[in-house]
Amino acid sequence: MEKDNAGEFMLYVQDRELVIPGQLIGEKIRHDINCFHEGDSVFSSIHGIARVENDRVRVIPSAGWYVPKEGDVVIGVVTNILPGRWAVDIRSPYLCTLRGEEVTRDPLSVDLSRYFKVGDIISAKISMVDEVHSCQTTGPWKLEKGIIIDVNPKRVPRVVGKKRSMLNIIKEKTGCKIVVGQNGWIWIKDKQTELVIKTIKKVEREAQTHGLTDRITGMLDKTLGK
Amino acid sequence: MTNEDIKLIKDGKRLDGRKFDELREIKIEVGVLKRAVGSAYIEWGKNKVMAGVYGPRELHPKYLRDPTKAHLRCVYNLAPFSVEDRKRPGPDRRSVEISKVSSDALNSVVMLEKYPNTGIDVFIEILQADAGTRCVGLTAASVALADAGIPMRDMVSSCAVGKVSGEIVLDLMKEEDNLGECDLPLAIIPRKKEVVLLQMDGKLTKDEFKKAYELAVNGAMKVYEMQKEALVSSINNVMIEE
Repeated sequence: MEKDNAGEFMLYVQDRELVIPGQLIGEKIRHDINCFHEGDSVFSSIHGIARVENDRVRVIPSAGWYVPKEGDVVIGVVTNILPGRWAVDIRSPYLCTLRGEEVTRDPLSVDLSRYFKVGDIISAKISMVDEVHSCQTTGPWKLEKGIIIDVNPKRVPRVVGKKRSMLNIIKEKTGCKIVVGQNGWIWIKDKQTELVIKTIKKVEREAQTHGLTDRITGMLDKTLGK
Repeated sequence: MTNEDIKLIKDGKRLDGRKFDELREIKIEVGVLKRAVGSAYIEWGKNKVMAGVYGPRELHPKYLRDPTKAHLRCVYNLAPFSVEDRKRPGPDRRSVEISKVSSDALNSVVMLEKYPNTGIDVFIEILQADAGTRCVGLTAASVALADAGIPMRDMVSSCAVGKVSGEIVLDLMKEEDNLGECDLPLAIIPRKKEVVLLQMDGKLTKDEFKKAYELAVNGAMKVYEMQKEALVSSINNVMIEE
């Protein structure tokens, strides 16, 4: 089966090639995120980098807004207290709520601001997303003090690294507390805050380059004088 | 009138020395506005145009929200200092029309169904005008949309064509636009060469129209190559930095 298909598909781009919306990527090829097909031809729908794995192709976007996905851990700011629940801003165009049942048995009769006030920073997991991308969160955790920084949500996987490698390097070297939200907000507290911000911004800017981990390690070692 | 006609085309060349099928010089920059999600700045001859994309974001007024797709709004604005005589600021009949045709053109390529209940705002700001601004604006807007990471079926490339002193010429400049017989802005989807915007001011015979259309499509394809180059180099620049 595989041998039969192997000769059939056509590719017009290489791995890691930059593509723009509407660019022809291949023919009779299996496609993943950010691609669409018309007949046998597969096109990119977004401005980004094409990744080819065997007979499968996908495009990694260079920019874009966060769209909630089930299971993502995000960082949000409580923006409003609604009857029995909170509205949380998770830096996406859609409404995100946190149910009062998460923290109390009877959310309608107690004052919810006892638990989270407007303006509080929380981290939570997205438990449900509906057809119009409105979502509910679960497992809230209040993040006290510290600051939030802003990165491009599409670069977050690079900041975290494979099996959290990049994040662990930054955490270990600086001893800083970091919580990364998939929505592009990163909460930082304690030591070396400025250095951490500088490092994360560097990772974000050079997300597509090779050998980034080594350079980040080198940079941290140099600055910390080890 | 006849005297001016003679001036417009001399020895088979136009006022600025271009051939009939030659575009003006085009320079596209991507990501010029820091606070916008995506942006583009384009210099097309003497035209200077800035386009910015904001969103997808919460849409107001609320009644415009559509649970099946996003709402794309395009605003074309001619700056008061962009033309020789000061233009009265604010929307007028012409800007409202161009805003409408531009948003229709962009609506046909953007995958709006990916962002239900939201709004995407595209702002086209003409800083310096020298004929063909709706084509320039649309070209810049589509680059800005791509830079914003919004899914699209294709880019929109655009180019004007016109009739000057009895000749069909590509990409009119201001003098040709004012004194010529016809002006025909055209925007296409380059992949299928489908037309998303076509307007005509003046008169053309059927044969002339066919010739003009061919010329405009070829011009738009050249513009497409430049858009592609600008977008690709925008990522490359980031990679080369440092």
